[in-house]
Amino acid sequence: MRIPLSFNDIRHQQAHQFLVDEAYLLDAQNYGEWLKTLTDDVRYVMPVRVTTARGAGFDTSPGMAHFDEDKYSLSQRVARMATEHAWAEDPPSRLRHFITNVRTFAGDDDDHLLVESAELLFRSRGDVNESALMSCGREDLLRRCGPPSSGGWKLAHRSIIADESVLRMQNLAVFL
Amino acid sequence: MTDLFDDVRRGMIPAHIYNDAEVFALEKERLFSRAWMFVGHESEIPQDGDYVVRRVLDDSFIIARDSDGGVRAMFNMCLHRGMQVCRAEMGNASNFRCPYHGWSYRNDGRLTGLPFHQEAYGGDGGFTKSGQTLLPAPNFASYNGLLFISLDSHAEPLQDFLGDFRFYLDFYTKQSGQGVQVHGPQRWRIKANWKIGAENFSGDMYHTPHTHASIVDIGLFREPKAQKRKDGATYWAHRGGGTTYKLPPGGFEERMRYVGYPDEMIGRIKDVWTPRQQAVVGENGFMISAATCFPNLSFVHNWPKVHDHENQVLPFISIRLWQPISANETEVCSWFAVDSAAPEQFKKDSYKAYLMCFGSTGMFEQDDVENWVSLTTTAGGSMARRLLLNSRMGLLPDDSPVIAALPPESFHGPGRAQVGYNEHNQRELLKLWADYLQ
Repeated sequence: MRIPLSFNDIRHQQAHQFLVDEAYLLDAQNYGEWLKTLTDDVRYVMPVRVTTARGAGFDTSPGMAHFDEDKYSLSQRVARMATEHAWAEDPPSRLRHFITNVRTFAGDDDDHLLVESAELLFRSRGDVNESALMSCGREDLLRRCGPPSSGGWKLAHRSIIADESVLRMQNLAVFL
Repeated sequence: MTDLFDDVRRGMIPAHIYNDAEVFALEKERLFSRAWMFVGHESEIPQDGDYVVRRVLDDSFIIARDSDGGVRAMFNMCLHRGMQVCRAEMGNASNFRCPYHGWSYRNDGRLTGLPFHQEAYGGDGGFTKSGQTLLPAPNFASYNGLLFISLDSHAEPLQDFLGDFRFYLDFYTKQSGQGVQVHGPQRWRIKANWKIGAENFSGDMYHTPHTHASIVDIGLFREPKAQKRKDGATYWAHRGGGTTYKLPPGGFEERMRYVGYPDEMIGRIKDVWTPRQQAVVGENGFMISAATCFPNLSFVHNWPKVHDHENQVLPFISIRLWQPISANETEVCSWFAVDSAAPEQFKKDSYKAYLMCFGSTGMFEQDDVENWVSLTTTAGGSMARRLLLNSRMGLLPDDSPVIAALPPESFHGPGRAQVGYNEHNQRELLKLWADYLQ
């Protein structure tokens, strides 16, 4: 079993802070700043979960995902949100990204960290329909992109593991 | 209700039909229990023993390729006490064993295992095991690998139900002798009535320049500028209809290249599309986009720019089912489809194009759903019962068309086609709906 870094390890603390700071950017839909926290070769993936028998050996839909993104496609999504015609989020949703159960693991070298977290997204739109929840786990690869003293971590890879096979959210015009 | 159907037939739609439990009950009784309902594609179960579990409204079916390669649809309910014998949604199995009392069935539906058959039933004398099977779907058929169930054992054959719309289905699901492979579906629930998506995909060219303005703003899709969109043709043929874009001048190959098909795929397409099908693109200059097959199966074919560094566009195909949950809720099942023989790089790029545009995260789809949820919510109130929505676009007061239908030489496909903004297809879809319900 992999041993996570101790909670008082500075690398864990920096990784945890990265995720919390990011959650505030995502809550505020400050996507321009969020893009700057991603490496240029970022991969951002959210497989489709499926119900399979125990022992089937898989629980995601082969060859299909909700998100399977690189910097270009993420940038296009962000650019769209910034137009005056992105009705899906105009008026904007009220968002709260709850991030918890953070564990950090040493990467292959000093410039990489593996970080696991649990996330609950609360999303409320308008005043009639019920709010929506999205529960997922995340596995992130952070890469050091600045001097060690500053932290300077960026997100190089994220796998988002949805806990529902049928999403109870009208779209994913949000990031997780 | 008679007035309601009369209003629908003249293109004035009582707003409450988009959120009315009574109407939904009628749809269940008279429409979904009789029409051919899409449940999946053969490529989802390529190997012997592969299965997926799909619903037709409230009825769960195991769609399995049995150990002899035959594809079957079996009602997912144990003959004994009614437990679901398969509770996974996909996998590979030679047998399905009921978790309640252990009755087990081969993947062709035959009852093979019955614990304590002798002690409990007196063996075959008390309960003859042989010949017992999970209930087969009353009617099950396929077209180009698209699998359909009808709950009506007397349903007309699928080929007849689809009729001339098959001409257009081929554009989406037959681009080589090998047919398409599908991936997915992505599944998510929207608080919207199922008819809205079906109508939208059938013919709503009018919403594209406005609803999807952001897609043009960011340069993802070059076509939906208002002027261009109305130059496309809409067509309706028997049980389905759709929209097209008018392409710049050129022949068949040039126009297929314009939307991003590589030459080797164009070569295979020419082998399987009839001259008449090719003429719709090559001579008439129309490229298929969105379409709906009555009642709740839709398709889309678009060609966005998928890479930053080049100006090349890439086509993708999506198949989607508007699975009704209630009067005001729909489960969207959205598959990505691509020709099985396509080059691997094309498959990757096409998949990426799909994810950017449609599905749970698609940038087109996001804005559509926002509108449809809002419409459905508002349709549930009492004022909606006093409002007839005007769905007469393209018709003058005497029911003559604003723009005449295209003559056969300008549109080689079957059915009625015309250029310009209109709601002919949405009316045709709802007329069929009214015919089934009344």
